[in-house]
Amino acid sequence: MNLDLSSLKRLAPSMRWVIGITFAAVIVSGLVIGFGVRTQLAALRAVNAEIAERNATASQMQSDISKADLQKKATAKAFADLDTLSASGVIEPLLGSFAMRSKSLLDPIAQRAGFHIDSVRELTPITLQLPQPPPGQVHYRQPIEFTGQGSYAQITTFISQTENTYPMTMLSSLLILSQPQTPETHRAIITFEWPVRGEKPKGLTNGTKK
Amino acid sequence: MKTPLHLNLLKEEEHFSSSPVRLRVMMPTAAVFVALCSIAWFFLLVGKVHTQAHLNEKLKQAVASITPVYAAVLDSRAQEQEYRAMARQLGIYTNSRILFGESLSLIAARVPSCIQFTEMRIPQPTLADPAHPSAAPTNRFEQVFLRISGRTSGDHPSEAVNTLLAELRTPVFTNLLRSVSIPKGAFRQDNARSASNRDTLLFEITCECQPRRFE
Repeated sequence: MNLDLSSLKRLAPSMRWVIGITFAAVIVSGLVIGFGVRTQLAALRAVNAEIAERNATASQMQSDISKADLQKKATAKAFADLDTLSASGVIEPLLGSFAMRSKSLLDPIAQRAGFHIDSVRELTPITLQLPQPPPGQVHYRQPIEFTGQGSYAQITTFISQTENTYPMTMLSSLLILSQPQTPETHRAIITFEWPVRGEKPKGLTNGTKK
Repeated sequence: MKTPLHLNLLKEEEHFSSSPVRLRVMMPTAAVFVALCSIAWFFLLVGKVHTQAHLNEKLKQAVASITPVYAAVLDSRAQEQEYRAMARQLGIYTNSRILFGESLSLIAARVPSCIQFTEMRIPQPTLADPAHPSAAPTNRFEQVFLRISGRTSGDHPSEAVNTLLAELRTPVFTNLLRSVSIPKGAFRQDNARSASNRDTLLFEITCECQPRRFE
């Protein structure tokens, strides 16, 4: 665009003022809108978005907080349910030994059944098969091996009474060997499996002996 | 005849339009008006942004003030989920339980008199993928077997073993035993014994028990 200054000079001073003021006003408007208004609009949009997000967060938090009592009750109930379940058969180690805990629990049953326990030992825990194992698995299958002697009836009574007394205990493996020198008394290796709680132990195997 | 003479002594810029709206007045007025409006808009926006920023700050403080309570609620919820997951694990374990005691007790009464058991074995559980035993297993079935070894003698040893097999297949044991069979070659003569006892036959019975289902 060519601006012919000589044509402007030919205009009357009042006309030049008109053009100058108009031009300056347009420039000012452009600058204000281009740099000021647009920046403020962007800032307003950002702050409004942040407010909307904070409002949503706050209302969600308030909603959850209003259900705090219900949540506490639900947690307490879940804990009570778990506690009841655990009390029915999850064993805790006795001075660090699951074998000794199991022995203390099963000794009275063995005595009643007439089965003589010679030795007890703890086998390597087995991972509990779960549809979707949680990252920190808390329950495992702990086999405890009881070696002893008794008649067939005494052995099966010991197994039956253990199963009836502890609803989470299961016969995991069994070996009854006849002994030619004592036909009525057999050697038995009975492995009971108990659920136990704990952190995921390293080096879990598929039930092989230690 | 008179001819009218039109004499124009005004300069061009001194001419006034007949229109009441004069461009030379309206144009700068409108431009200045627009400029003032845009400045006013700018200041309005500045004020609005300031107000909203203040509101945002108050909201931020409000959220911060309820965060500890909210965190406690979330903790409680996570705790509940953890307890329920643990209870589910125990439920899965309990569902997988198989009871042997009663069935083992009943076997004794059903063994023919000419049969003597020498060994009864339930092997250790084996997982489906022994190559990765420590990985969390996804197989939810575990096969369980009961293996019975014994000897028999008398006039009809094979009948006695068949009778035992038939007894083990009766409904009394079907809760525990799914199939009962003698593997090929497991019914044989006892060659290790003295010549006088060559009539003794050895047998092994493999019973496939109901699988443990971890579900």
